[in-house]
Amino acid sequence: MSAQADIRKWFLKKPDHSKDKNENSTKTSTDEEGTGSKYKKESKFFAGGSAVAKNSTLSAGDKSKLKLEKKSTDIGKRKSEVGVNGAASQDNGTPPKKPRMVIPAGDESKVKVETPRGKQPKESPSKPPSAAKGRGNGKFVIVEDDEDLDYNNFEDNEAKTPSKIPTSSAGRGRGKPPVTPDVKSTPQKPAQTPTSTGRGRGKPSTDPDGDTKPSAGRGRGRGGGGFGGAPWASQGVPPHKGEKDVPQGAEDALAGLTFVISGTLDSLEREEAEVLVKSHGGRITGSVSKKTSYLLCDDDIGGLKSRRAKELGVKFLTEDELFEMIKASKPKATTSKTVDSNRAPSTKGTAAGVSVAKPSKPETKMKALPPSSKSGRGSGDAWQAWPAKHAPKTTVDIIGNQGIVKQLRDWLQSWEANFGHPVVKGGKGKKRVAASTSTDVKKAVLLSGTPGIGKTTTARLVCKELGYETLEVNASDARGKSDSNVKKGMDGRTANTIKEMVNNESICFTGKGLVHAQKSALIMDEVDGMSGGDRGGVADLIASIKSSRVPIICICNDRYSQKLKSLLNYCLVLNYRKPTKQQMAKRLTQIAKSEGLQVADNTLEEIAERSNGDMRTSLNQLQYMSLRSSALSFGDVHARLVASAKDEAISPFSAAEKLLGFDGRNLRMDQRVDMHMADPDLVPLIVQENYLNYTPSAASKDSTGLMHMDRAAHAAMSIAEGDIVNGQIRRRNQWQLSQTSAFLASIIPAALMQGQRKEFEGGRYNFNRFPAWLGKQSNYKKKVRLLEDVHIHLLASRICEPTRESIRLNYVPVLLLHITHSLRHLPKDEAVDHVVNLMNEYSLTQEDYETLLEVSEFKGHPDPLEGIQAAVKSALTRTYKSRIQERVVRSADLLPPLALPGPKKAIKKPKRLVLETEEAGLESEEIKDAEVLLSDQEDEGDEENEGGENIESLLSSYGTAKVSLDRGDEAKVTKGRGAAGKSKASDSKTPAKTPRKNKQETSKATPSSAKRRK
Amino acid sequence: MLWVDKYRPHTLDKVMVHPQEAQHLKNLIAQGDCPHLLFYGPSGAGKKTLIMALLREMYGPGAEKVKVENKPWKVEAGTRTLEIELTTVASNYHVEFSPSDAGFQDRYVVQEIIKDMAKSRPLDVSGIKGFKVLVLNEVDKLSREAQHSLRRTMEKYSSACRLILCCNSASKVIEAIRSRCLNIRISAPAKEEIVSVLQHVAKKENLQLPMGLAGRIALQSNRNLRAALLSFEACYVQQYPFSENQAVQATDWEQYVAEIANDIVTEQSPKRLFQVRGKLYELLSNCIPPEIILKRLLVELMRKLDSELKREVCHWAAHYEHRMQLGQKAIFHLEAFVAKFMSIYKRFLIATFG
Repeated sequence: MSAQADIRKWFLKKPDHSKDKNENSTKTSTDEEGTGSKYKKESKFFAGGSAVAKNSTLSAGDKSKLKLEKKSTDIGKRKSEVGVNGAASQDNGTPPKKPRMVIPAGDESKVKVETPRGKQPKESPSKPPSAAKGRGNGKFVIVEDDEDLDYNNFEDNEAKTPSKIPTSSAGRGRGKPPVTPDVKSTPQKPAQTPTSTGRGRGKPSTDPDGDTKPSAGRGRGRGGGGFGGAPWASQGVPPHKGEKDVPQGAEDALAGLTFVISGTLDSLEREEAEVLVKSHGGRITGSVSKKTSYLLCDDDIGGLKSRRAKELGVKFLTEDELFEMIKASKPKATTSKTVDSNRAPSTKGTAAGVSVAKPSKPETKMKALPPSSKSGRGSGDAWQAWPAKHAPKTTVDIIGNQGIVKQLRDWLQSWEANFGHPVVKGGKGKKRVAASTSTDVKKAVLLSGTPGIGKTTTARLVCKELGYETLEVNASDARGKSDSNVKKGMDGRTANTIKEMVNNESICFTGKGLVHAQKSALIMDEVDGMSGGDRGGVADLIASIKSSRVPIICICNDRYSQKLKSLLNYCLVLNYRKPTKQQMAKRLTQIAKSEGLQVADNTLEEIAERSNGDMRTSLNQLQYMSLRSSALSFGDVHARLVASAKDEAISPFSAAEKLLGFDGRNLRMDQRVDMHMADPDLVPLIVQENYLNYTPSAASKDSTGLMHMDRAAHAAMSIAEGDIVNGQIRRRNQWQLSQTSAFLASIIPAALMQGQRKEFEGGRYNFNRFPAWLGKQSNYKKKVRLLEDVHIHLLASRICEPTRESIRLNYVPVLLLHITHSLRHLPKDEAVDHVVNLMNEYSLTQEDYETLLEVSEFKGHPDPLEGIQAAVKSALTRTYKSRIQERVVRSADLLPPLALPGPKKAIKKPKRLVLETEEAGLESEEIKDAEVLLSDQEDEGDEENEGGENIESLLSSYGTAKVSLDRGDEAKVTKGRGAAGKSKASDSKTPAKTPRKNKQETSKATPSSAKRRK
Repeated sequence: MLWVDKYRPHTLDKVMVHPQEAQHLKNLIAQGDCPHLLFYGPSGAGKKTLIMALLREMYGPGAEKVKVENKPWKVEAGTRTLEIELTTVASNYHVEFSPSDAGFQDRYVVQEIIKDMAKSRPLDVSGIKGFKVLVLNEVDKLSREAQHSLRRTMEKYSSACRLILCCNSASKVIEAIRSRCLNIRISAPAKEEIVSVLQHVAKKENLQLPMGLAGRIALQSNRNLRAALLSFEACYVQQYPFSENQAVQATDWEQYVAEIANDIVTEQSPKRLFQVRGKLYELLSNCIPPEIILKRLLVELMRKLDSELKREVCHWAAHYEHRMQLGQKAIFHLEAFVAKFMSIYKRFLIATFG
């Protein structure tokens, strides 16, 4: 990596520079200036802090500053450290320090926060640097190799133990970076530059304030910026996706920094980048604000974010630079223990304001905590699930949805007033109806929302707080329609208990006689789960609501469920919204604290985010993870959550996507098999459909494309073999082969073609297509059925006995040629005559004619009927219809409609045409009218449309006497079952409603063939 | 009526293409009985014509009075009842159908339906043979299981019925069945025979057919008499009077396959492969059998190939054709062949031209 090389160069050069600087008489000032100028540079770049610039003109820093500027112009504005570094190294010997020390925007803002302490605004900027220096005594070295990270680190250190700064910071600083050369040089500095050290030491005293502020600032940054769910669906695919090694750094490498990601990164997906930043302690926010430290973007698309970032002076960071930052922190990973202990408390302290014990003794902290009321409950007692243990105790504790809580409370409070009066006998119905209709107050309430967001809890708590006694009925109780016989309800059927409860008033007997007991309420939980056994449950519930004397609170997950449609009318529907990540994290923090669990804030947010608003799940997750260790790092949590996410059902599309995409190569074999098994039918098809669209990464360098082609061929072969194995599995139940089939059909082709996907034709989304095979197969089957009809008719003609295969291969082309050729070239009448003769000879029907056309349609080939006049076509249909009687019929479904003796069956289909023809038997004039009308329509309409013609000729072909044939008789004929056959069969076959008239006709003529055509 | 049907010989005496076999058959049934028969040979060779003529010889013109039925059969298969739709062509004396129509349920067709048909002896009206004939088409497409069930039926009910089996490839019929039948191989007619038939038809139609054209039609038909007669008629429709060098038009699907071959040879890339896949799908969904596509494609490709590649390409075509028979989704195998060809051809091109 070139970036790494740069860094190395810098390590080498660094000492020289410091020497150079040291040689200067004004060492301290140089140093200061150096840092100062760094700041200036930054501010110039980003904040345009001219004051700082002025300040820096003091001393030797000038030179470097100039160079810096030069560089900056070279590089372009948005480039930050790495870019500068690179440029610097190219310049060889150019001032290293300045480019080096890039201060994150967040720090800058901190600096600004500090300014009040300084006397003048001008000086103030220079001060913080010096402060940094001071701290840097131990650190400075590190500052040089990984600027901001360490910057943050020692800030953390300071935050922790402000008073002990010199020792602690130095010690830590050394412990962390094994970057020895620098470490050596740093101790020198204090010695050489007494003033600076003096300041540095002086700083500590100032630091407490100075530090608290930045940390506070950070805390704010965190709190405010937590929302990471930037919409990235529209982002393109990273151009070098998966081609870079993602570095692993110290967990706190980016602690305290807030990032905003913009545009497409070079190699990481948006999500991957987020995980990377978060796992190093950084924070991702959705939009640029003052607190944003960096705008992570590789390609300045000049969007809103980058504009705003420029306005606010937020630094830009490329992906490579981010990697550098992380990589630079790597050494610390070795001493992660200390880092952890350092970091965890500090982050906590800053972020959530949670009091934190000394890092070295988490035990004591846990002990110290119990006194607090919550943990008193929690620790040490019998094991209890956290969701139950930490369930809200008051309505105030409920996370989010306070509006709903209030609504529910209001509703319940007013319930008594609206419906509570005991109903006077007789007046029962009226009164209630009046009450409910007048105010439009619903008598029951329906809480809906995803699981785990506190619906049941809300219901319970609200009832409790308003003094209601609750009866909860959920899916574990039978909730079917209650037996009207009360006696039967006595032996434990809950539904009747409900009935009783809602119909009776609870009373209790005290010494003074009967007194109204506590008010009670019914909570019907999981109403959308009423199914199967709970037959009539919802209807019964509605009945209960109507007659209820107690408030009923219904709870469901999906209020759009079909089952609940009727219920909605009787309920006040309150829809829960998912709590935000922050809301959940806040609560999780409290709980973690009370349980003595050390978790960073962003980790909790991660849990909250992954659980998708489900508080119960996140608590369960948290509890589970707490069993392993009392301190959770982001990495652990992320790994676990990702792992558990994998257990969830995965769609065939994402499975195929994962197999074929870049990530595929990182999957273990068992994972790949799992991918295939997500849907062993569909996944191979998706792979087969799409594998050609992937350019294997391995073959991307081969300019000839030969390797790509080879791989495609190999993949195709593997897929074909997979098909064979699959056939064996299905045909002979050889299920032990399913793994083999997974490899052949999905895994091997996917592994061969793993890479970037691209779409061949422009204008299509670059997503995996749905397998075309399914559509083609059904199309094929349809045509097979149609051809089978033709086959039967040809057989019935008695003049030939071709196989189906030879029909398609030999007969169809020639028959079609005969038809089209004569229609095109012969005079109209002669042509029509010729064609109809031919068709009649071969017993071909109108549909067969269409089949011939359909079966010889090829994409990109001209339509066989091209150039034939519409008039000829319609003449053909007409003639065909009129000569329908001439046909020799040997196949049942070819029979023209004839009047057959036999009992008339009532017509079941509400068919207009059929009805008309029926009537026509009586009033033939009407039918004439209809005929004219229809043919008129046809003339006006599309000439190609033969529908009208069909009907016309059909009508004319029907003698009025023949019309009496009804569907039942005809069906008997077609089925060859004789007159006694069941008409039912054919009735069910003929479509109930036919949109087009000619369809009606065809279905009438040949019901079975019409069925096939469907 | 198309010529191919118009001039189809209806008696064994009039058969033009396989007069020898016709004579044998005639002698065979002269005694009034016949064994089970298995006709095999490529399509368009005259199997069906011979069978029909044979039936007519046995039963007289009544055998040609057929009726077509397409009806569902209820079959008890273990615990469930299957409904199988079969198209049968039946006269008073024989029943003809393709048991392989039932797909993977063909076993039940054989076990139940055929047995059922075979069991009942035909009503013996005056002079009618004491057995009926079942003509089974496309026996080679029957599954193994079905064929095994068939062989028992053939023995058990041979007193009441005779089976005439008809297929393209005898190698796909199990040995046991072949040994129970008299095998009659109907070879594809020689080119000269086809030409003579074409001339015969032309004479009857009063047409002047140039020998050159007849030769080319015969050549292009690939020794398939039906194809030859039909394309002869197609030529007639398109242009008459004939000219010596008139082009014999290929059928629509043949043209399409030729286009595909052209596509493959002009460019070898995954993109092109994808386009070819689309075209193959077109052919398949238009009911062109995949074996025919592969065979035709190979022929077209061969024309464009250098001889050094031919052997290898043939090898792979055979390989994938075989795989296709074993597999289910023909398109996968066709695509694999095309991909393989592209890979080979591309390597060849790069090696040759750099």
